[in-house]
Amino acid sequence: MSEKYAAISWNRQKIIYDLILWSGVVGYLLLFIGLGAIFQPNVTIETLLIRGFGTCAILLLHIVLIIGPLCRLSPKFLPLLYNRRHLGVTTFFVGAIHGVFSIIQFHALGNVNPIVSILISNTRFSSIADFPFQILGLIALIILFLMAVTSHDFWLNNLTAPIWKLLHTLVYVAYALLIGHIVLGVLQAETSPILVISLGFGLISVIGLHLFAAFKESKTDEEFISTDEFVEACAVAEIPEKRACVRTISGERVAIFKYDGKISAVSNVCQHQNGPLGEGKIGDDGCITCPWHGFQYNPETGASPPPFTEKVPTFNVKIEDGKVFVRQIPNKAGTQVEPAKFE
Amino acid sequence: MISSIRKKHRIIWLVLAILLPILFIAGIAFRHLEPVNESIPKRTLQKSSQKNQ
Repeated sequence: MSEKYAAISWNRQKIIYDLILWSGVVGYLLLFIGLGAIFQPNVTIETLLIRGFGTCAILLLHIVLIIGPLCRLSPKFLPLLYNRRHLGVTTFFVGAIHGVFSIIQFHALGNVNPIVSILISNTRFSSIADFPFQILGLIALIILFLMAVTSHDFWLNNLTAPIWKLLHTLVYVAYALLIGHIVLGVLQAETSPILVISLGFGLISVIGLHLFAAFKESKTDEEFISTDEFVEACAVAEIPEKRACVRTISGERVAIFKYDGKISAVSNVCQHQNGPLGEGKIGDDGCITCPWHGFQYNPETGASPPPFTEKVPTFNVKIEDGKVFVRQIPNKAGTQVEPAKFE
Repeated sequence: MISSIRKKHRIIWLVLAILLPILFIAGIAFRHLEPVNESIPKRTLQKSSQKNQ
């Protein structure tokens, strides 16, 4: 958690993450250019650089997009999620270098402004084989730029979560545009099957993982329907110590925590970036810790420990015959609720 | 709020799951096998490719 608006709150984990990331990018580029120079000696270094940065950027974007569903399927992938924004910003920078090299190579040596040239040099929108794919890449790059510059929590707080989330959902539009940019661009002339197979594999992986994770998550959304004020959620014995079980009540997920002979229920949604609090745990300090970015909440009040001010709604709970019952109507965020006790 | 976001996510990915494969397949299926210069007569192109062979 960050108390102040620091540029980046570096820690050991972030430094390791970034070192691995940048080493991977540099290594990939050296390998691509080296192999390109050996197997395609007629290709110029400018072309190799454009292709190298372009393929690196789309590879990074695929990795960024599969992290989300992988974390839904297994918590082992959570370390990749913690600093996913670093991956996203790197994707933008690599893509931007590809864009700049491309613009210089193909649009900068005429008497028209290079950016204007991208927009007007090819207007064959009705053709698939000759489609102005450059425009698709330019729009995608603009989206990635907007996401990169607003990736810091400063913008999350100032734009408000719904607007910030909407802006960052545009990554899916950027992905679709980039698939179009590649398919209608380089794949129109590239006869090697490697690029086609690689892109096809990436597409299947991203779409397949998202659909599979959506199917798995939809089962958790199956709701216990009841007209009573309290609805049966789970058995006390079902909840691991210092952990939670998650149930959908009145259309939203509720995390029911067991700790020190007590049961408390809070909204499953972290106020930071909607992380799943129910997949976190209660630490030695007695606070629920979100598994995504470490935001903390008191299980009895739903409030973050001072000086932090985030709050989540709490739910009244009771225990009958070893079963936990949760009140369907949530309390206002930060409302203190006496936990239910069991023996 | 999160359940509405989750529903929108599902719809987005269902749409992408349909559109992107169509785009991919169409792009591969309709591509030119060789670059075509429409201003060059076909006879000249055929003679040129025979010479290169």
